[in-house]
Amino acid sequence: MLRTALRNLLAHKARLAMTVLAVCLGVAFVSGTLVFADSSAAAHRAAASKGFAGVAVTVTPKDPPDAPPGEERTNVLDDALVRKLAAVPGVAAVRPTADGSATLSAADGTPLRAGRARANLGAAHVPDGNGEDGRYPLVEGRAPRSGDEIAVDAGTAAAGRYRLGDTVTLATDGPVMTKRLVGTVATKDTRVTAGGTLALFDRATAQQLFASPGRYTGIDLTAAPGTGQAELAGRVASVLPAGRAEATTGAAQAAQQALYVDTLTRGHAKLPLVFAGVSLFIGSFLIVNTFTMLVTRRTREIALLRAIGASRRQVAGSVLAEAALLGLVASAAGFLLGLGVAAVLPGLLGTAQDALPDGPLVIGPRPVVAALGVGVGVTVLAAWLPSRRAARVAPVEAMRSAQQPPSATRSRIRAAAGLVLLVLGVGLLVSLSGVEDASEQNLQDAMLASGILLVALIVLAPLLAAPVIRLAGRPTGRFGPVGHLARENALRDPRRTAATASALMISTALVAGLAVVGNSTAQALDRQAAGGLGADYVIGTRTPTTGIDPAAVERVAATAGVRTAAAVADVPVFIGGGVRQIAGVDPAAVDAVMRLDFTGGSADDLGPGRIAVSATLAREQGLAAGDRIEARIGRGHEPRPYTVVGVYRDNPAAGDALGDLGEVRRSGFLPDSVQRILVRTDDGAASDAVAERLRTAVGANPLLKVQDRAALVHEAAGSVGELLTLMYGLLAIGVVISALGIVNTLAMSVSERTREIGVLRAIGMDRAGVRRMIRLEAVIVAAFGTLLGLVGGVFSAWAVGSLANGAMAQYSFVPPWGTLLAVCLLSLVIGAAAAVVPARRAAALSPLRAVASA
Amino acid sequence: MSQPSPHPRPAARATGLTKVYGKGETRVTALDAVTVDFARGRFTAVMGPSGSGKSTLMHCLAGLDTVTSGSARIGGTELSSLSEKQLTALRRDRVGFVFQGFNLMPTLTALENITLPLRLAGRRPDAAWLEAVVATVGLTDRLGHRPAELSGGQQQRVAVARALVSRPEIVFADEPTGNLDSRSGAEILGFLRDCVRELGQTVVMVTHDPAAASYADRVLFLADGHVVDELHEPSAAAVLDRMLGFES
Repeated sequence: MLRTALRNLLAHKARLAMTVLAVCLGVAFVSGTLVFADSSAAAHRAAASKGFAGVAVTVTPKDPPDAPPGEERTNVLDDALVRKLAAVPGVAAVRPTADGSATLSAADGTPLRAGRARANLGAAHVPDGNGEDGRYPLVEGRAPRSGDEIAVDAGTAAAGRYRLGDTVTLATDGPVMTKRLVGTVATKDTRVTAGGTLALFDRATAQQLFASPGRYTGIDLTAAPGTGQAELAGRVASVLPAGRAEATTGAAQAAQQALYVDTLTRGHAKLPLVFAGVSLFIGSFLIVNTFTMLVTRRTREIALLRAIGASRRQVAGSVLAEAALLGLVASAAGFLLGLGVAAVLPGLLGTAQDALPDGPLVIGPRPVVAALGVGVGVTVLAAWLPSRRAARVAPVEAMRSAQQPPSATRSRIRAAAGLVLLVLGVGLLVSLSGVEDASEQNLQDAMLASGILLVALIVLAPLLAAPVIRLAGRPTGRFGPVGHLARENALRDPRRTAATASALMISTALVAGLAVVGNSTAQALDRQAAGGLGADYVIGTRTPTTGIDPAAVERVAATAGVRTAAAVADVPVFIGGGVRQIAGVDPAAVDAVMRLDFTGGSADDLGPGRIAVSATLAREQGLAAGDRIEARIGRGHEPRPYTVVGVYRDNPAAGDALGDLGEVRRSGFLPDSVQRILVRTDDGAASDAVAERLRTAVGANPLLKVQDRAALVHEAAGSVGELLTLMYGLLAIGVVISALGIVNTLAMSVSERTREIGVLRAIGMDRAGVRRMIRLEAVIVAAFGTLLGLVGGVFSAWAVGSLANGAMAQYSFVPPWGTLLAVCLLSLVIGAAAAVVPARRAAALSPLRAVASA
Repeated sequence: MSQPSPHPRPAARATGLTKVYGKGETRVTALDAVTVDFARGRFTAVMGPSGSGKSTLMHCLAGLDTVTSGSARIGGTELSSLSEKQLTALRRDRVGFVFQGFNLMPTLTALENITLPLRLAGRRPDAAWLEAVVATVGLTDRLGHRPAELSGGQQQRVAVARALVSRPEIVFADEPTGNLDSRSGAEILGFLRDCVRELGQTVVMVTHDPAAASYADRVLFLADGHVVDELHEPSAAAVLDRMLGFES
């Protein structure tokens, strides 16, 4: 039987190649992702252990357990402790560190290499007896010696285009600083080599910035030969002040740091797994379809095998063996392709090339097993139904020439199952469409319901094919008998048509759903980012621990071209058991920078003890202008009574509540600073010149951002961009696999209908007519799949819209008609393009085939 | 060898028609300089053993296959001078086919199958003629059925109607009774003879069944690519007799 399977496989290699390709793509994504993950993990481990080479034990300060939270901790790591540790037996060398975060400013004022996954390290230059620092060996220039000098690592200097002698603008947590660059150093710290930055200060400055004068953030110890890390850690721990410092081995730190960097870079690698899932799911339809067609075509052959004594199990086994062989070939090819994916993945993920430490591709057993398991598993699983079908072939069919119509019972069962699923999916989605709570549970329900709906459509597709195609195929009547024949051919085997269209249906549903959600989200973000804002510029902070100092507010207000500069203090407020955001504003300036629409009261009465609330908050708390409410702002220990002086329509720029600037700012966690400056220009417009002056006014602090309305919208849309990437990726995969499916089905149909096409040619259909007929059939199948997918996707997106509404107040269902139309047209074009080769082959058939193959 | 035709121009004519398949050692001469006329309004049967070239002669005359040398004409049209497109149009407008395997479109109804050649040509069927043809083959009450719902004889009657509907100059029938039982076969042959006698059609039929050949006005005998004999107004017995003579 294995030999039969092998021979069948070889006999249909061109046709099966299409099927292989779909599986191959899926396997490539899976194995590529895994190999990438393994390789980068290995590279990070290697780099981290290199970075910690020589560090046996690190001592770090620890908060005393009974210290009140929020109190300034007293750090015990001082020079006396350093000397004490140096005297511990087994310690060869001691190096104190003073590390923290320092963000450098690029030439255009933006932060250099800053971002979620980047480390911006600030550290002390700690020279040994020879004036050299072994951890950061000098490359060029000299080490920083005073508070106005810094050194950076060579990679940072290159990225920021800094040259020795340049003035570099940077910020730690506080105000902006400028320092002179006096040297560049080398570093093996993976946090820096993985795309971060390093700024080195002289010891006293670093201590002042990151610890406190005379204190350190850590002490690294080198072990004398023959002393183990764990042994030394134990010895060191015994001399540390109890509960105020702890000793960690270098190996443990290296492992932890590798894990940290690895987690940051690996998070992105999930996208290919989504692609893998989609391509394998869609691909499985292609497999089902191909094997069903092969089995149908071999009915007589199979019946003959059964007649001469093959058992059902052997027949089914032979089909499954064929599938397994196919899966094996596809997996092997996919795995090789996956190595390519792994090699280009870092680039695709949008991280800089140097973000990953160099290292060879690590091919562990896990990706190999996964590739084979996934590839063979999916193929065999998908071939299971066709194999059952093959097993059902009765020996007598060897003698029968006509094909039997599909049994009516089966289609009744299918209809019943499909309808149950449809009702279930639609019902669940409709019930969710009223819910406005974007909880994890509801989101999972929504995903499940969308999945059920999709499966229902897949199950019902063969039954929907006839009515939908008859209805939607009306326009083909314009093509005369050619169109009529094309439509009837598409309907000839509704199951095959449905299975072929399913691939396109799934990808269209996914893309349409994502497009609707993405567009609606983008529009919502658009409204949210700039909505309710009267200002032309917003100066804000990049990190929550950064504030804008009052001097900067004054400088901004004095900038040429600025009419109004209103400081806003954003502080959390606790009202009625929930945490809200209150914006402290100057009542005199707020109207110029926010478009507030009061339904009761006004902003004029804001002052200490008097707040205004948003319509949503007022509704939730049952408040109206003139009411009193207990609230606790920011650091305040006790709730205090406030008078509500106004209720305004929800306004993203204002937040949940408005208060008096002075009062709110005093209660903030950074009491001397504000979080936003809203700027109104003289001419009410944004210009590069004003932006430049504003940036100068805030001292080009890389931790502050100056954004006009367009930039705010753009920033808010950042996460939607990822969704778009996903959408286009899915579209590409869906399109490729669907096209393969259509080519496959048509090629099969053409070879089955050789005689018919011959007759058509004999009785007077010209070549162009044959080509048009095949093309139209493909377009009809594609249109059918697209239509179903569009309905399913848009409906699901509509239903889950209210959930998004819970998370995003401004969300509303906005289908991107242009994109959806483009997706439809693309599908039809794909259909037509997929038909090119089968149509050409059909047209080349000689009319003699009608008589010759009698 | 050919009988001078009663009409000035025959419906189809082969002159020195030669057809060679393959090259070198596999070279087979299917037709060797065959010259023959098919008169208008006559029913001609072409007979011969397997490999005699009878099917090839029909394919070449019907524009289904190209000729190696010599001439094949339908009416006054030299087929070798036609392009692929013109040949298609000629088959559609001037030639009708009846195949052994019926070869109906399974997705179309009987009526749609019958009118397909006209619709491919973008012409509307002549209602009176269509009715006459349908009535002649006795299909009036089966027009809405698909081929799968018709018996073999009925399917072949649809095929005959399809061949006749465009009033072709000549109808070629390739073993039209090969897949039918004898009663259905006799019916089909009766229809073919009726449409020659009553509608003035020209029919050329390839067959190896002497009984079928006896319906024809004239029987041509082919052997090894040559026309070796012919009979007029034959009886089945005479045909059989003649054939036995070739095979001995």
